[in-house]
Amino acid sequence: MAMSLPISIRSVTKRYGAFAALDDIGLEIASGEFITLLGPSGSGKTTLLMVLAGFIRPDSGEVRFGDRDVSLTPPHKRDVGMVFQNYALFPHMSVAGNLAYPLKLRGAGKSAIAERVNRALDMVQLQGLGERQVDQLSGGQKQRVALARAIIFEPRILLMDEPLSALDKKLREQMQIEVRHLHQRLGMTTVYVTHDQREALTMSDRIAVIDRGRFKQIGRPRDIYERPDSRFIAEFIGESSFLPVTVRDGAAWIGERPLKLARVPPGAAGGHLLVLRPEKLQILAAGAADGLNRLDGEVKEVVYQGESSLLYVALAGGQQVAIRQPATSAAPAVPDIGQPIRLGLAPSDTIIVPADAAP
Amino acid sequence: MRLPRVDRTARQIASKIIEAEGSHMNVTKIGAMALVGAGLVFAAQPAGAQQKSITVSSWGGAFQKAQREAWFNLVEKELGITVKEDTTSGIADIRTQVASGKPTWDLSTQGAYTCALLQKEGKLEKIDDAIINDPGVPAELKSSHWISQIVYSTAIGWRTKAFGDKKPTGWAAFWDTKNFPGQRSMRKHPLYNLEAALIADGVPMDKLYPLDADRAFKKLAQVKPHVLVWWSSGAQSAQVLQDGEVDMTQAWNGRIQAAMAEKEGKGGKLDITFDQQMLVSDCWLMPKGAPNKELAMKALAIMMRPEVNARISLFINYAPSNLKGFDAAVIPPEKLPDLPNSPQNKGKGFVMSVDWWVENSDEMVKRFDAFLQQ
Amino acid sequence: MTTDAAPAIAHRPAGDEALNAGRYKTARRLEELALGGLALPALLLIGLIALAPNLWLCWLSFYGPNGFTLAYYERLLHPNYMLTLKTTFELSFLVTGICMALGYPLAYLIAQSSQRMASLLLLLVMFPVWTSLLVRCYAWLVLLQRRGLINTWLGDAGIIETPLRLVHNFTGTTIGMVHIMLPFMVLPLYAAMRAISPDYMRAAANLGASPIKAFWQVFVPLSLPGLVAGVIIVFVLCLGFYVTPALLGGGRVMMWSMQIERTVTYHSDWGAASALGVVLLVMTLLILWLVGRLVGFERIMGSR
Repeated sequence: MAMSLPISIRSVTKRYGAFAALDDIGLEIASGEFITLLGPSGSGKTTLLMVLAGFIRPDSGEVRFGDRDVSLTPPHKRDVGMVFQNYALFPHMSVAGNLAYPLKLRGAGKSAIAERVNRALDMVQLQGLGERQVDQLSGGQKQRVALARAIIFEPRILLMDEPLSALDKKLREQMQIEVRHLHQRLGMTTVYVTHDQREALTMSDRIAVIDRGRFKQIGRPRDIYERPDSRFIAEFIGESSFLPVTVRDGAAWIGERPLKLARVPPGAAGGHLLVLRPEKLQILAAGAADGLNRLDGEVKEVVYQGESSLLYVALAGGQQVAIRQPATSAAPAVPDIGQPIRLGLAPSDTIIVPADAAP
Repeated sequence: MRLPRVDRTARQIASKIIEAEGSHMNVTKIGAMALVGAGLVFAAQPAGAQQKSITVSSWGGAFQKAQREAWFNLVEKELGITVKEDTTSGIADIRTQVASGKPTWDLSTQGAYTCALLQKEGKLEKIDDAIINDPGVPAELKSSHWISQIVYSTAIGWRTKAFGDKKPTGWAAFWDTKNFPGQRSMRKHPLYNLEAALIADGVPMDKLYPLDADRAFKKLAQVKPHVLVWWSSGAQSAQVLQDGEVDMTQAWNGRIQAAMAEKEGKGGKLDITFDQQMLVSDCWLMPKGAPNKELAMKALAIMMRPEVNARISLFINYAPSNLKGFDAAVIPPEKLPDLPNSPQNKGKGFVMSVDWWVENSDEMVKRFDAFLQQ
Repeated sequence: MTTDAAPAIAHRPAGDEALNAGRYKTARRLEELALGGLALPALLLIGLIALAPNLWLCWLSFYGPNGFTLAYYERLLHPNYMLTLKTTFELSFLVTGICMALGYPLAYLIAQSSQRMASLLLLLVMFPVWTSLLVRCYAWLVLLQRRGLINTWLGDAGIIETPLRLVHNFTGTTIGMVHIMLPFMVLPLYAAMRAISPDYMRAAANLGASPIKAFWQVFVPLSLPGLVAGVIIVFVLCLGFYVTPALLGGGRVMMWSMQIERTVTYHSDWGAASALGVVLLVMTLLILWLVGRLVGFERIMGSR
């Protein structure tokens, strides 16, 4: 797309004393892609964003926007849009003033500015609020203004630093979709930072999970969720229980019980873990045999959560796992506490990761 | 160290911080007030149970100590009474006491100007004729309602190095920046300055009053560019001379002489002349309605006796107001040249007219301040 | 689990008094009273210390020996007072301006320093405030006078032949007052600058503003409340300044406060002095009001 640029991050390292905020990191972001940097706090995701924006100069490595090496370009010459965590809307300017600021800096004419400000306000559905002062806006409105300000000068790259974290859940979910739509409409390459895995899953073309200054896994949301390649990813994204298994003869073994696998994982020195997502498990009627992997246990606890129930089951081996049971009438009845239960898991959902935490 | 009244009020109001000694005043004052309070309680007891007393107020500090040594002790002995002491910070004290109808002071030390002003306001008791009529006290130093107790003068002090062998001999020299080049310091007040200007302009000392203000300000304008510091406290007038900020200053004789005695001024570095000096005095007054009028009048009579009055010079560098005191052989001869109105220095200057200043002070100060700022 | 009867939502019959509503109201009233009671001594004190004397001042300035009078104000029309008013404002403007020019970069430096460095620098800025005003004035005297350190050094170094006149004039007064006032400019400025999130500057840069533009278009406007507060504090303090002009002005720099002092000292004229005081008060309030109109009081008071 004409409105976007690919980003190339090569071997970027940034240290603060002995602590490596970014540890020899590399990433190729395609033109027009919406990529999310996901990680716990202190993982380096914001540092990387700051490096892209030019606020932090790395110790080594290279950053390219398209074929332009911007490693040493000061922030004001990078021409990237950015939405800050706390919006950073200038309190001494009106909404329109904030939106007009980047245009003024680029020497746009008065009428052109007015026209573009109005269009931007339309785009974020804030028609008529141009003369408002920033502190008269609600959180959601501020968010929209910040977004509008970041894109009004038509940058080909948009950076967003946990932009929705200050909003309440409902508004956040609504904005997630709006941002997504906006991206689809405008098509600029977008780097989005969040620690909220659900947000990452919702919005991204790709997710780059980062921890302690390194990428753990980079992939499409579905891949990341369905096929985590480490315990860290499985733990960080979605809920999981872990069971130690032995991989042998193309199957995973819990004790003497084999589990069929859709994909046989590569060998791991520290052994393997079975990743059990609560929603992937289902309650099986006694005696049913339908090609699913089976786990037997006893119901320990039932937690009613409205749209679903969460069951905690102690397996025969003593390990505890969680199962999510949708609240449909079609679902099998939930057994009482203390009753035996049989759980089924499709081989395609039987995920095996290396046991050791180290990459 | 003594300053005339105007300066003391200034000290109380704003420049307490400027004058180090000022800070002691309040403590002394509170103590003295407590004493007075206690005295009132005793006074209410049956007569005879308590020795009679009078209450006297003054400037506190070294001067009041000298008064105690020179005068109060003698009065106590002779009359068999107690002289209780208090401190005053100026005219407001007397006005307040008289307005209350029950003054606590029998006698108070004030500047002559204040005495004249208070008399005009009708705030004072008449002084016994016997005391006033003493010919030893010159007529300019007394009135029907007040009498001077000490005399000092405003004179010229200079740094000897600045002028070589030449010695200023009056206000014409002060104005003469050709023969006596260098910075000057004068008081930040028309008092002294108008007189000095007129004398420098050739008006004889006995024909000064009423002052020709227009002429004086015109003459003053000539020296203005050479005046580096317009001093507002006695301490400052001596300080600028000692520091070498100015080469010639107009100041009170006590200040210059004290500076001459100090380290920086010793060895003839500074000098003073009494030529064309302006004599000023502090007076005794009795607030209207004073509680122990008769006894206080007796005490005043004793203190104004020539041989008693002269004793003040034994304890501090001020001169007696009763000129007969110089004949009483109280003051050591070597001290006489330092006293502005001693027989050696008598006739070199003139006595300031408090009456003229009482009438014209407000207008002159305003005019002078405007003159300073132009 | 199921319940047989539909749960009751309302427990009180219609039209009845709300259950125990009275006692909550009483409790709230008592709490308010207690709070008010706590503030009462301070309010009384303020009323007694701040308000009463000012009212008394006003009264004195209008009340002469023969009742109501405007005489005390009429005498202020004398050119003397006009000149003093001019000097007072000139000096106050000049000192405020210099404090602004010196204080802003200083506050900026401190605000940009690390926390440790900032504390140290602030300590240095505050240090003069803990020294006696008088000591500082005399220190300047020692430095600036004809045979003072500066003239001696310059003379010894052969830079000047005749000593510079640095003190006993407007220059010396300005130097001394700037020294005394600078902390009052730096502190509110520093507080305002410290409160500016670095994200604003980042946002400005990100939007395309060069560091210089970002500074002038974003940082300076955001620090304005601190600047206004500093300017007001310094200017108002300058208007009423006494000691420094008295000591370093050589007697020729006449401030309004010195006129008050002279009126009391030389004439014991409390009415006239009160009129002078009232004029100073009114001028100060006028300036505050004006600035309040221009900038808005919440911004000055820093409630933002």
